[in-house]
Amino acid sequence: MRHLTAMLACALVGYPLLIAPATSVLTLGVVALALCGLGVLLGMPLVVGGAVVALGEYALALWLAGSPPRLVGAALFGVGVTVLLQTADFGWRARRATLGPGVVASQIRYWALFGAVAGATALVAIGVASAASASVRVPWAPALATVGAALALVAVAFAVRRPER
Amino acid sequence: MTTRLTPLALSITTVGAWGLVLAVFSGRAELVVVVVPVLLALLVTARAPATPDWSIAHAISSARVFEGERVMVTVTVVAGEPVALLELFEPLPSGLRVVSGHNRGLFTLARGQRVEWKYEVECVRRGRVSLGTMHARCWDRAGLHAGETAMCAPWQLRVYPSVLPLRRLPGPRRTQSSVGNYVAPAVGEGIEPGDIRAFVPGDRIRHVNWRASLRFRRLFVTQYHLERNADVILMLDTLAEAGAAPDTTVDASIRAAAALATAYLARKDRVGLIEYCGPFRWVRPDSGRAHHERLLEALLRADVMFSYVTQEVALVPRRVLPPQALVIAISPLLDARFEKAVVDLAARGFDVAVLSPSPIPLVRRARRASTSVDLACRLWTLERTARAEALRRLGIAIVEWDPAEPLQAALVGLTGARRRRAAAR
Repeated sequence: MRHLTAMLACALVGYPLLIAPATSVLTLGVVALALCGLGVLLGMPLVVGGAVVALGEYALALWLAGSPPRLVGAALFGVGVTVLLQTADFGWRARRATLGPGVVASQIRYWALFGAVAGATALVAIGVASAASASVRVPWAPALATVGAALALVAVAFAVRRPER
Repeated sequence: MTTRLTPLALSITTVGAWGLVLAVFSGRAELVVVVVPVLLALLVTARAPATPDWSIAHAISSARVFEGERVMVTVTVVAGEPVALLELFEPLPSGLRVVSGHNRGLFTLARGQRVEWKYEVECVRRGRVSLGTMHARCWDRAGLHAGETAMCAPWQLRVYPSVLPLRRLPGPRRTQSSVGNYVAPAVGEGIEPGDIRAFVPGDRIRHVNWRASLRFRRLFVTQYHLERNADVILMLDTLAEAGAAPDTTVDASIRAAAALATAYLARKDRVGLIEYCGPFRWVRPDSGRAHHERLLEALLRADVMFSYVTQEVALVPRRVLPPQALVIAISPLLDARFEKAVVDLAARGFDVAVLSPSPIPLVRRARRASTSVDLACRLWTLERTARAEALRRLGIAIVEWDPAEPLQAALVGLTGARRRRAAAR
């Protein structure tokens, strides 16, 4: 499981460098990779820190490149970040434990399925958003986007909140 | 079952929020797209998890073992409904140590599937171990949601003190009336030649000593010493202990008591046990295999127990402490009450020998080496020497035993000390 986490971390850190091969991006990438590496050895909070820095690195690379949107790559990046966190967490849970038959295989199947579904969902969302943006012109778009983002987070928080039973 | 969101859910929410913040400030659509899978992962957790239906059963390779032996624990998990990811954890007491496998397991179970999970534990300390509370955690596949419960499938393990091999034992001064392995001073039927006397009608012809008869031209017969057994009482001091488990002075004393009991019972002696923990607890002297089990059971229970009660040796009944018994007191001499009891026994005419497991090496091993520890241990050694000398002056044979050394070496010293004391009398 460590190998899978390490491969995902390398891919996530390397992708922004393909978009904008700059020293600042590389520096952030190295920091993100170091945090993920330490996290695999020492604990999940470091992996989360690494994912946060990797996301910052990606944003910086997009800002520096100023190129047209690469939405498929972004969907893959999002899937990668989510699966990185899940694999690292599973690696920690599986440490010093007897693994029953088919546990790892079923987890990998789940992540593959999740990646496919999440990627497809992101692509559908991109298509819907593109169609909507072409047909509807909204004034105050940045403000609406901000409010939309905040609402999305609040909605997720409400969705996942469940009282302990 | 108690269900809750895991820290991973919070982590993913944080990463998603951070992505949205970056998207808003940078104005790049890609960052919103990045957040979509993250939000999707969180929304998956909103689904109500299925109620897990599974059961566990325990089996152990042996329910009665000695210290240092290993036991294979087999846990069988049977699922009534599919379980995405089941984490089982069985906490072990300090007396057990996992040597192969793990006492935590992760399983994916289909409907009706049966999974066996094995791990091996080493029993490092004597005692009665009650186990079987299994903590279970049912995870969803993403690891964002977990339900916790505890199941009880009780199993009990008895870990008896390890029996150290002994070849030579301190012999008793007096013997009893039953047949045994000791040559008694009294003459009768036996194989050890004793005295020669004149033949009287009724003597057996095969006892005629022909060499003496030819020399004195009268019939003489050889008399033989009787072979008798002895009563041995092991007196265990559980008033106080020193050192760190599983190598405390009480542990060492109990191992010595188990070894002595086994060795004396093998010689057909009657062995009794008196545990002095303030009040007395005892096992009456007897012989045989069943009694061996009884003694080991009593040693299993023996432990330091705080008590304000201090009983006198005079309260121990005669059937528990027979007058002609050899009393082997096993004590680290940490509590003056036990010394008083030993002196009391000696004053009543009992044949008393003291085997003293030294607490100093045990404490030294448990502490980090330093000059102050060295100095304290040297002072303690001097104090122990003075106390042992005081007992010797009262005619009690005493020998110190470093539990790291073989018990046999200490017992040889005890035999020598008793012989010297008998010669001095």
